[in-house]
Amino acid sequence: MAVVAAAAGWLLRLRAAGAEGHWRRLPGAGLARGFLHPAATVEDAAQRRQVAHFTFQPDPEPREYALETQSPLPRNFEMGQTQKMNLFQSVTSALDNSLAKDPTAVIFGEDVAFGGVFRCTVGLRDKYGKDRVFNTPLCEQGIVGFGIGIAVTGATAIAEIQFADYIFPAFDQIVNEAAKYRYRSGDLFNCGSLTIRSPWGCVGHGALYHSQSPEAFFAHCPGIKVVIPRSPFQAKGLLLSCIEDKNPCIFFEPKILYRAAAEEVPIEPYNIPLSQAEVIQEGSDVTLVAWGTQVHVIREVASMAKEKLGVSCEVIDLRTIIPWDVDTICKSVIKTGRLLISHEAPLTGGFASEISSTVQEECFLNLEAPISRVCGYDTPFPHIFEPFYIPDKWKCYDALRKMINY
Amino acid sequence: MAVAIAAARVWRLNRGLSQAALLLLRQPGARGLARSHPPRQQQQFSSLDDKPQFPGASAEFIDKLEFIQPNVISGIPIYRVMDRQGQIINPSEDPHLPKEKVLKLYKSMTLLNTMDRILYESQRQGRISFYMTNYGEEGTHVGSAAALDNTDLVFGQYREAGVLMYRDYPLELFMAQCYGNISDLGKGRQMPVHYGCKERHFVTISSPLATQIPQAVGAAYAAKRANANRVVICYFGEGAASEGDAHAGFNFAATLECPIIFFCRNNGYAISTPTSEQYRGDGIARGPGYGIMSIRVDGNDVFAVYNATKEARRRAVAENQPFLIEAMTYRIGHHSTSDDSSAYRSVDEVNYWDKQDHPISRLRHYLLSQGWWDEEQEKAWRKQSRRKVMEAFEQAERKPKPNPNLLFSDVYQEMPAQLRKQQESLARHLQTYGEHYPLDHFDK
Repeated sequence: MAVVAAAAGWLLRLRAAGAEGHWRRLPGAGLARGFLHPAATVEDAAQRRQVAHFTFQPDPEPREYALETQSPLPRNFEMGQTQKMNLFQSVTSALDNSLAKDPTAVIFGEDVAFGGVFRCTVGLRDKYGKDRVFNTPLCEQGIVGFGIGIAVTGATAIAEIQFADYIFPAFDQIVNEAAKYRYRSGDLFNCGSLTIRSPWGCVGHGALYHSQSPEAFFAHCPGIKVVIPRSPFQAKGLLLSCIEDKNPCIFFEPKILYRAAAEEVPIEPYNIPLSQAEVIQEGSDVTLVAWGTQVHVIREVASMAKEKLGVSCEVIDLRTIIPWDVDTICKSVIKTGRLLISHEAPLTGGFASEISSTVQEECFLNLEAPISRVCGYDTPFPHIFEPFYIPDKWKCYDALRKMINY
Repeated sequence: MAVAIAAARVWRLNRGLSQAALLLLRQPGARGLARSHPPRQQQQFSSLDDKPQFPGASAEFIDKLEFIQPNVISGIPIYRVMDRQGQIINPSEDPHLPKEKVLKLYKSMTLLNTMDRILYESQRQGRISFYMTNYGEEGTHVGSAAALDNTDLVFGQYREAGVLMYRDYPLELFMAQCYGNISDLGKGRQMPVHYGCKERHFVTISSPLATQIPQAVGAAYAAKRANANRVVICYFGEGAASEGDAHAGFNFAATLECPIIFFCRNNGYAISTPTSEQYRGDGIARGPGYGIMSIRVDGNDVFAVYNATKEARRRAVAENQPFLIEAMTYRIGHHSTSDDSSAYRSVDEVNYWDKQDHPISRLRHYLLSQGWWDEEQEKAWRKQSRRKVMEAFEQAERKPKPNPNLLFSDVYQEMPAQLRKQQESLARHLQTYGEHYPLDHFDK
């Protein structure tokens, strides 16, 4: 994998001006001097780096979350002491909580020891020891297989795959082994205490191999859970639920939100239930469904719709891809009659097709318009063309407008 | 134990010696006598600055261009204790196992052999859908199983039923899994021979090859962390060793210092693919390339297998490092009931192994020479084991299959709402169309 190159790419920003300076210094670079122009005005520089296609919106107030298990704790709990954390810090906090309360828990993967290429594991090795937070060789199939083996003994395994784009060597271990361990053994064995975490989704310049959203590949695999948070607060609660869940889970972390998303997050552990979608904004005319970064895009689309069209949107964050919360989505569509689903992953075979198919089965007579899917194109994820590729707010807005006028 | 010393002599991997120097030590080859050490006379000219500083290898410089030639003509030697006639070669290597234990080894192998014959036949008669025999490899199973603690965790491939047999897995449960009947602990979900037993620490078999290897390493790591004094043993064939998962498992075990025994059954064939088409190096005892202590043994010599596994277990747990045992053997039977091996190998070749070098015969000769067994006992045991197998077989056949609701459970620990809906939909479907389904054979 080009992981080393990728990590280097992340850390280094080669500026055009610097490169030109090098050209000027070369003897006989007179010709080049004619070609190259120094970095011009601030405006030009801004155009060279694209503006993010979304604005992170933290949830308005701290939420109270019910604990789903038969725990003796009260149904709602206080947030307790919070701290401003971005997404990677909220992940670190969840991992810290996990290792603190579960002595069998270990974290492993490529480069996790020094803190990880996205700093999600900073400080954990010093705090918990090198037998609990450690690097593995560069081998995704080994990482997941190894993690399954730890989980089979009952210990908690938290595996990191450095980019979701590199999860495919582990596909056999995930689909043929982890997902089927309990079923095929008649529940004699299982690897429920395995969680795989991986950075996911577009990031502005990631191109083919640092931008993918592979949730659809795993949606087709009974036996695993796939979870994607939209914010630091959601990430910590969902990740803790994944780690404690008795089934193998894949937790995709929107990498573009690692630093861009920051909000108050409780320091103590808390759980957000899996397989429960969240209606983050109620509405009456259209249901908008997304997950991860795209939730913030559709939230903005909802505002645009309200402002320009007077349309009231119900915005739903799916949160768990499988097993997914059919009831919440259907209940919403029965109310609104219109559904728009949006994801970065390519259109064909993307998870929107599963949602669309189920909703038309369950809510056919309630639909006022065909279900709309606003997704990435059926191409690999491009580099320079990213602004054209992604399902941005304008494409979503346009699709919504067409649905309203259907 | 002499084994360890011999092994260490062949495979000394001290910190001081470089990999290159190690291979040079072993290779007489075309260049004549083995070179014993890198040229010393160069040292007097080199200052400290001239020594290699690379983080990636601990080695000396050399100024002569030489490719290291892999040696496959005279490869890693094969450790054995008995000759082909079951006579101990070097008395100091005889493990001197007590009579009961040796009889248990013998009876496990022969009972397995009997069960194999009957179940293979039952597939031919359409009673079960599929079967894989263990002919010729029984020694690898029981020799290694006998050297482990009962709580050591076993990850297998699919041709290790003798390990379960040695751990007293009842015939009833072997048959239940093959028939997928109501007594199957696996709840009828997998093809025959995909055994699993939590009580006996035998992880359920899965069909994809070599996937168990990195898993076994993870389990060993967890055992190390838990101070469990447990080893994990991972069985696989020489074909599965070509999979990426095998490479991954070896590398992880070495770098993460896991108490694991990798046990390769090199039986000459992966279905129809002979070893000459499976690898070009010197077999699967390729552990040193990963930094793993390795040995090659005569897999048809139960005592050799026992000794190697015993010592590997002791050291793996004591030193938290992996061991690789390559047990040379021969697959006397077809790959499975879906295979006819006469299509790719001669009957003569198969007969040689069956008649001249079989783990069961060799141990029988040993038993006879010890005066622990005789023809009468042999006849009585054959009759008894056959009867036991037939009884279990007839009972397994009579039992119903599990309730079709078990099609839906255990996908997750809890049944998701959507899956419950699908289960209900099948129930409704059967109410109307049930006559078209074999419901009579299934538990109500």
